[in-house]
Order: sequence, then structure tokens, then C-alpha cells
Amino acid sequence: MAHLKEVDMKLYFDLPEKEQDLVAGRLADEKILYCTPYDIDSDGKYTDGWMIITKSRVILIEDCEIKEEFVIKNGEDYNALSFVGSGLLEVVVNGEVRPLVNYSMSHVPRYVYMARILNDLRKNTIPKVKSTDTETKCPKCGRAYLRGTKVCTKCTNNVQVMKRLLQVAKPHWPLYATVILIFWIITAIQMIPPILNEHLVDDYLMPGVKNMKAILLLVVGLALCALMNTLLTIIRGIVTTKLGGLLSLDLKSMVFAKIQSLSLSYLDQWKPGDLMNRINADTNRIQSFIQDNGAKGVNQIIILVAVGIYLFFENWKLALFVFIPVPFVIFFVTKMRKMIGMRFRSQWKASDKVNSFLQDILSGIRVVKAFGQEKRGVENFRKLNREFADITIRNEKYWNTLFPIMNFILASGNFLVLYFGGKFILGNEMTIGELVKFTMYADYVYAPLSWLGFMPRWFNDAMIGAERIFQIIDEEPEIRDADRPVKHKIDGAIQFKNVSFGYKSYEPVLKNISIDVKKGEMIGLVGHSGAGKSTIINLLMRLYDVDEGEILIDGIDIRNISQADLRAQMGVVLQETFLFSGSIYENIIYAKPDATYEEVIRAAKIANAHDFIMKFPDGYDTKVGEKGVKLSGGERQRIAIARAIINDPKILILDEATASVDTETEQQIQEALGRLIKNRTTFAIAHRLSTLKNADRLMVIDDGRLAELGTHEELFRKKGIYHNLVMAQRKMSRMQGPVT
Amino acid sequence: MNNTALKINDEKVNNLPPVDDIRYITPDTAKFEKTAGGFVSLSIKPDEYYKRVNLYRSFPHRETRKYISVRNSEGKEIGIIKCIDDFSKEEVAIIEEELNRRYFMPIITKINSIKTEFGFFYWDVETDAGPKMFTINGGHSSVISITETRLLIIDTDGNRYEIENYQKLDTKSLKLVEPLI
Repeated sequence: MAHLKEVDMKLYFDLPEKEQDLVAGRLADEKILYCTPYDIDSDGKYTDGWMIITKSRVILIEDCEIKEEFVIKNGEDYNALSFVGSGLLEVVVNGEVRPLVNYSMSHVPRYVYMARILNDLRKNTIPKVKSTDTETKCPKCGRAYLRGTKVCTKCTNNVQVMKRLLQVAKPHWPLYATVILIFWIITAIQMIPPILNEHLVDDYLMPGVKNMKAILLLVVGLALCALMNTLLTIIRGIVTTKLGGLLSLDLKSMVFAKIQSLSLSYLDQWKPGDLMNRINADTNRIQSFIQDNGAKGVNQIIILVAVGIYLFFENWKLALFVFIPVPFVIFFVTKMRKMIGMRFRSQWKASDKVNSFLQDILSGIRVVKAFGQEKRGVENFRKLNREFADITIRNEKYWNTLFPIMNFILASGNFLVLYFGGKFILGNEMTIGELVKFTMYADYVYAPLSWLGFMPRWFNDAMIGAERIFQIIDEEPEIRDADRPVKHKIDGAIQFKNVSFGYKSYEPVLKNISIDVKKGEMIGLVGHSGAGKSTIINLLMRLYDVDEGEILIDGIDIRNISQADLRAQMGVVLQETFLFSGSIYENIIYAKPDATYEEVIRAAKIANAHDFIMKFPDGYDTKVGEKGVKLSGGERQRIAIARAIINDPKILILDEATASVDTETEQQIQEALGRLIKNRTTFAIAHRLSTLKNADRLMVIDDGRLAELGTHEELFRKKGIYHNLVMAQRKMSRMQGPVT
Repeated sequence: MNNTALKINDEKVNNLPPVDDIRYITPDTAKFEKTAGGFVSLSIKPDEYYKRVNLYRSFPHRETRKYISVRNSEGKEIGIIKCIDDFSKEEVAIIEEELNRRYFMPIITKINSIKTEFGFFYWDVETDAGPKMFTINGGHSSVISITETRLLIIDTDGNRYEIENYQKLDTKSLKLVEPLI
């Protein structure tokens, strides 16, 4: 049953009308099998090109003209090459190579398939490729999809981000509601003093009316209001802080969890400094938005509307003066929004640069010192910080000029109110008390209004922070568990069936690898650097998924086994031993947190590590890793072996360290490895002759293909690639002489 | 003493062992020609002939015309061209054409607009290869400063664009691009 491989790429485009007409005549009764666009002409200029493939011909159209028609069988071979920034589909005719189609990176993956298809058609085989309609761009508006999603940010509601932010706040709804309630109560209480004042001024603060009792009552009333205000503000502060803390916890956990779950291919593209910024700085921004400005915002808007209505009710003429400056400010602010966003972005970019630089230098401080480049590091840091400082200062100057001016404009309504209010009073249209009340209420409005002015900055802050975080949260891990992943107790038989893979799908690193490994067998992987050995291991660990073919463990496709389950049953010893900050004990039990002390010691003994560990004053509690004791390469290797062995894995993955250690340590490591490998199916990238000789079979990988397969003796006799590799290795060891 | 032929007179004498010395391809022994298929062939006196050679820039950002690695179709290095302009005019044209084929990086001459949304930037520009619209992802080093004034821009598909000197752009373009550096 031939499975048509569905590729995540469009290979059949609908020709636009003009081109359709152009081609109609030429086609006769042949159907268009594939149709792809291309965008560079033979002069290196952008063009509007189409490549049409029928069963027997290739038709090229450029700028609405037929550029070339080509009979597929005339070509002896078709090849798609990728260069820097572009690609080329070339054809061999009569032994001569010539270019056929040029295209930008946007089409490179497509044409790799095109070349394959053409080669299939040339040989009269039916191409095994079917196109889908998925693309990385929104078909409606051409905007790029949010990475890893099929979400077009323009074609979906922009309110989405706000909605998502609210989702984050949702679980803490009760606390949130409490905060808002308190705001309301405070507001309500604040509405009272102006009325009291009105009475005070109009009815009692006049020579002649000697009612001290009333005055006292009113003053007490005012005092009580102020007191209540203070108390409630304290309570509000406490509740808000609690809310903030919980929000922060949620957001950060969410982002961190997502980062942990994402595939290596995505994470490889980020610098650790950037990721840290996302988790800390950006979540802080969102948190403060929801916590402070979010709650406050709701309130301010309510005050604004309520008081506004009241003011207009009382005296619409004066109210008008209060609100006149508003449209100006709004206009001003909307114009500034884009500028504000840009400024923030550049500030953050600069901040990211500083952090990443720090991260880089501090991780590599050893190299810095070894080459004596400390001074340069200091200078660079200074320079980056300077840039960051400059941008920040510029921005702050901007805010500090813009907002006071805006506030002044807003408040300028006040003067008009006083002037005309005075006129009304003199004309007996209004009492002094009423004016006092009015201006007090009007004051309440300025705070929200100017807050609305500041809003763009905070809003942008949060939105940009949200953007950056959702970028991560939206990312779907490439390696996903199947819909119903199986938990499988591994026995140890492994099969590679026609496996092909490339980190970039159009540049295959492994080509059609097949092998049947029995349980308990040890397979040595040999080949030149970059031949594909580490890739085989990465695929077995399912850090990446195969492009073609399948990998089976005990007959089950590894894609159907739950990742957690799979990796928990594999032991891994890599070249670079990374030890976490913690004790040796914590590092050994990393994959098996519930290991007993006896298991730990046993594992360490098998790894020949127990003795040197016991020599440390703190034994297994010795702190290692970034902040701890510096271990030698051999010691780290052996701890890694202990770590791998403690789980009793059925499958072992070994990437032999090439670094040489002293003979004694070498022996210890070899011995430990020997014990480790016993009765476990092992894939080992081997460098040492001794390891190779011990392997049950060897896979010789050359340029991505399985070139030779067999035992050491069989392959050596063949006098092929393996033989040469071994001879070169022997020569090397002889040259190096005995290692002290 | 007999190594002086390989050492160019304006180079500082270095103390690296001669085993891996650079083989320079020079006009007095080498000739580049265009093949029928449109690619480049190389012949070096007395008896070397390569039907098709590939040219790679050693320092694509810093030096576009110097230290070009010439490799055969298997990828093995034949030698290095110290400076393209040492060769004849016709050969320079052939070499340039081949290099432009490998390194397709249109130079942006004018920026019509840059719109931004959700971390993506949508550029509308004029280049020396024609007008173009592309998208870059704001987060991941898509605008790289090769030198203080030279910028490399990589879009979401991996296409590359260059701005030779952003400070020499017209005011509108300059204003649009500056915040992104």
C-alpha cells in the first residue's frame, strides 16, 4: 500500500487567470500535476514566475510570458541546491549542468520536492508526494502566522490578547472582585466630602449664623470620611499585594512549564538570557498591569463616567469646560501610541542585549581569562549598557516632558471653570458652596483623565510583554505525544526502518537508514565528524522526529510511546557531562528521585566513582556544578555513568568522550562502561578501538547513509571506509605515544 | 627562502607552520571561463582543469571581493582568490555573476513602510532586484549590525537583505529603520 507522504507545503497552486489562459493552449489534454511559484529570474531580479509540471513537460512562465518549455525526459538528473539566501533547480542535459529555476528562501523547501518529483517522472515512476494546503502565511491577508500556530494575528480579533490576559486573572476572581469592591466603597465615601463642604460653605460658614454644633458635626463627618478612606486603602493594599503575588506565580509557572515542554529545535534558537527575560521581566509587566492598572483602570473609568454624568447634570456649561481639553489629549495620545510602542521595543531590545551579553561572558569566563580578554569584556559591557542607558534616558525625557504637558492641558479646564463659575456666582446663578462642590468633584475627574493619558504607556508595556509571552505559550512543541500515547515497558529490540531526517527538512542528514537491533546488542556508530552519528542518537531519544521512515522499539513506533515513559527507560551518557548545581548525590538520583542510598552507592561502585567520591570530605554531599567543586573530566564521566545506570535502563545511549584522560582513569572508565553496557541494548558513538572491538556490530555512517554494517573483523577485512578509519586511528595513537 | 613566492609582500610574516599554507589562485596561472550551462570552469597551468567550480566567500559580511574560496564539485578546496579584481575584466564579471548566484542578498535602497503587529514587522521596500514585501520576526536577531552602519536583515523565510549604510538612506527610510537596530 503506497502511502502518499503528505508534505507540510503547498505544491499545487492555482494559477492566476492570465497565466491560466497563457498555458491553456499548450497543455492539450495533459493535466497540471504540480504548480509552484518562483521569484528570481536569471538576472538575479525579482520576478513573478511559475513552474508547471505535467506528466511529460515542464513549463516556465515569467511575468506572464512563457519563458521555457522543457521535456522532462530530456533531463538526466534534477537537483535542487540551496545557497545563501536563494536556491537553484538545475538539470543535467547531455552531461552539461544548467540552471532551470531560481528562487528565494521562501521556496527552497518546495523545490527540493520538485526535484524529487521531476526525477520520479523522468523515470516514469509516480511521485510519492502529495501537497497540502498548509502554509506559514495567512491565506487571507498574507501576514505570517504566529510561530508554531495557524493563528493570523490580523484576521483574528485583536481583543484576543485582552481576553487571554483576563483568562490568566480568572482563577483569582474572588480576590480581584474584592479589590474592585473596595475601590467602589472608597469611591462612594469620597463622594461625600464635597456635599458636606457645600453645606459648610453655603449654610454655616457665614458671619451671623452661629451654629458651631453643625459646623462641628460636618467637620467630624469629613474627618470620618478621611479615616474610612485610610483604613480601606490599607486593606486594599494588602489584598492587592496578595493578588499580585498569586498572579506572578501563575504566569511564571505557565511560561516556564511551556518552555520545558517545547522541543529542542525551538529552544536551540533562543539565548538563555532572552528566555530568562521572558519568564521574569515580561511576566512582571503583565502582572503589574493586571494587578495595579487593571483593577485601578476599571475603577477610574467608573468614576469618570459617574462623576462626569453628575457634573453635566449639575451645571452643563461648567462641565463643558472641564471636558473640553479631553478630545485634544486623546487625539494627541493616539498619535503617540505607535511612537511609544517603538520606544519601548528599542528599550527592551537594548536590555535584552545587555543581559545576553552578561550571560554569555559569565558562562564563558574561563575562556575570557585564558585569552586575557577581560578588559575587552568590560569595554563591551560598558558600551552595551551605555546604549541601554541612552535609550532609557531618551525615553524618560520624552515621558517626563510629554505627560506633564498633557496634564497641564487637561487641568487647564480648571481656570475656565473658576472664571465662569465666578461669573455665575456674581450673577446669582450659583452659590459659593455649589462652586466649591463642583470644583471638588471636577478634581476627581482629572485623576482618571490623566490616568487615561498615562494609559497608553502602561497598556503598551503590558501588551508587548503579553506578545512576547504568548509567543512562547502559543508555541506548540514539535515533538508531541500521540493522541493516546502508550506506556511501554521496554524490552530492548530496536528497529530503524528507512529513516531519513534533516534538521532542515530539505537538507537531509540521514538518508534511508535501516537496521534491526536485537535486545542486548551493542551497536557502535562510526564515521567521520558530521556524518550523522549524533543525529541517529537524537532520533532514538526522540529529541527530533524522523522525516521519513520509522523507529520502532519492541515493534512499537516510538512516536506512539509517551515521551516521559520513553526517556525514563533510557540511559544516556553524553560527551559533555552537565551536572546541575547540587550535590553528587542529587545528580546521581536525577532520573530516579526515589532511589535508595544503597542504590546510589551501588551505581557509583559500578561506575568506579564510589572511591573518588569517598575521598571528598563531604562524600556524596559534595556540592558540584556551577557553584561547587570543580571535578575533572574523568570524574564527571563516571558520575554521568552512575546517573545513567541507576535507573536500570534497557536502552543505553553512549556518546564517547574524545578527551583523553590518564591511563588509569581511562581503564576505570572503560571498566565502568563495560559493566554499564552489559545486557542492555546500546547505541554507542565510539572512538576508542577497544570499544569498537567489543561492539556486537558496527554501523559505518558515511554522508548520512549506512555504508557498512558488520562486526569489527568483517568490516576490517573489507578494507573499506571502516578499515581506513581504524588505520588512521592507530596511526594517531602511535604518534601520540603512551599517555602518561 | 623558497616560500617567499607564496607570501604576499604586504602580509606580516607569520610563524604558522607551512603545512597548511594557503594556495592562492592568481591570474598568471589560472583562467576562469563560463561553461555552456552558465557555470564557471577553471584551468590552472600546467595541467589542472575543473569543469565546474563553486565559489564561496570566506568573509561574506566583511569582505565580499577578497578571499574567495574556490572549490571543486565535491566541495574540496582548490585554492583561494585573494582579490577578485586581480583578474581580467571578463573574468571578474564571470566570478561576480557566480557569487551573486550563491549569495542572493538584495540591497534595500528605500523603505516604503514598516508596519508592526504582535512582534512581527511587515516591510515594504525597494531593492536593487526590484520591489519586495517581507516579514521579519522582531524577537530573534532579524536585524543584524554587521558593521556600525551596515545591516543584514533576515526574514521569516530565511531570505537575506542588506542595507549598505543605513545612515545614508533617505530621511523617511532612516526613521523607519532606526528603532529596529
